Amino acid sequence: MAARKRSVQAFVELRSEDPERTSALAVARERLAAGRTLEGLRRFRLFEISGSALEPAALAERLHGSTQFYNPAKERCVVRADAAEPVPAAHGEALVLVVERGGERRPAAERWWRHAAGERVEVREGVVWALRFAPGTDAAAAAGDLAVARDRAHGLLANPHAEEHRVVAGALPPCDWMTLRPVRPGRRTRRSS
Amino acid sequence: MSGPRVAIVQFPGVNCESESVHALALAGLDGEVFRWTRPARELAAFDAFVLPGGFAWQDRVRAGALAARDPLVDALAAQAERGRPVLGICNGAQVLVEAGLVPGGGAVELALARNRMPDRDGYQSRWVTCRVEEGPCVFTRHLAPGTLLPLPVAHGEGRFTSAREGFVDELLSLGQVPLRYADATGAPAAAFPDNPNGSAAAAAAVCNPRGNVLAMMPHPERVLDLGAIARGIGGAWGARRDEALARGGGDVHAPAPGRALFAGLAAHLQEA
Repeated sequence: MAARKRSVQAFVELRSEDPERTSALAVARERLAAGRTLEGLRRFRLFEISGSALEPAALAERLHGSTQFYNPAKERCVVRADAAEPVPAAHGEALVLVVERGGERRPAAERWWRHAAGERVEVREGVVWALRFAPGTDAAAAAGDLAVARDRAHGLLANPHAEEHRVVAGALPPCDWMTLRPVRPGRRTRRSS
Repeated sequence: MSGPRVAIVQFPGVNCESESVHALALAGLDGEVFRWTRPARELAAFDAFVLPGGFAWQDRVRAGALAARDPLVDALAAQAERGRPVLGICNGAQVLVEAGLVPGGGAVELALARNRMPDRDGYQSRWVTCRVEEGPCVFTRHLAPGTLLPLPVAHGEGRFTSAREGFVDELLSLGQVPLRYADATGAPAAAFPDNPNGSAAAAAAVCNPRGNVLAMMPHPERVLDLGAIARGIGGAWGARRDEALARGGGDVHAPAPGRALFAGLAAHLQEA
């Protein structure tokens, strides 16, 4: 019987001030209606690594030792191996995952993993924005509005013609978040077939 | 210079403004770098606009995404609505697409997505051949359809794409794809490297229905003189370059294909 495939996540964040975060926050607050109640914004690069022989204990060391994932001198990395584990975002922040449609796989990282660890894995990369809104704001709705770039006054984080997004507010995302179909209004998230 | 005034809109990170001034001057136009710190209302004093290449706001969030939401772009949209020409080159094209000025209407209807290339990823810098298509574009309509222009591209996100299946083909049928990547025979290029990024319908440029706003990924301002055409380029333009180099003297400064776009702008402004 084949070993069960599992997914782990690696959230990578700059140790220093993130200029993308600063600019996105300023533009969202000054120019976008849904951004007026946005109080804070953080950005993570998210890797999802899927395979059947992943050992969480060795995983962090492997990510740390490779140049394919992050630079430990300027970024920190938090590994999440179970959907019950917390994400590095603060309580109350809505999370928006943005992935390039059909372009999330990282073949070079997969080759490196096969070479370094002898394991076949799938590596996907996306961007997670953690948004903190003023109390009383419907965080899920506001995050959704900020996510999809519709015109100059509405949306910013994902261009729907090349990217997909998923929003999680008030809950933890699954560890195979990127392989789930994006949520449509009024529908629950479904697994891809 | 006293020709029509053209604002070269420079956001922080834009780096092709000087070449754009030079290209406009060669076409008899008075180019002026208009930095992002100036009041947007001052744009109304110009006859046309160029958004040059570079990395506006360091491509933060997504190439062109932040500049597209700058008040200057609202002012540009108002000028485009009045029929004034706007040319976005490379990063400028990304701004126009993110701003919804191309293909027009104000909504974001396209993306200039990451290049799709076989067995490679990332930034691509190379010469391509662009074929002129029939349409209303003020920058290309003076050129015969089928004209081939060798031009350089240099970008990581230049793939015209839409979530709407067949939308870019629809734009092509409406005349809103004035330049397409072509192979050596002049046929539209579906595959790398002639199509350097996997762009739908081999689109190298897209304009609005009126033709006064053009978003193009190749860099015409980088190939103004015959001497600037790379040695590897053959065809008619390559032959002209070789002859100019053989003759020496000032012949290498004779017009090269990049000037055609700016000449089209000058002709349009003269008519207007």
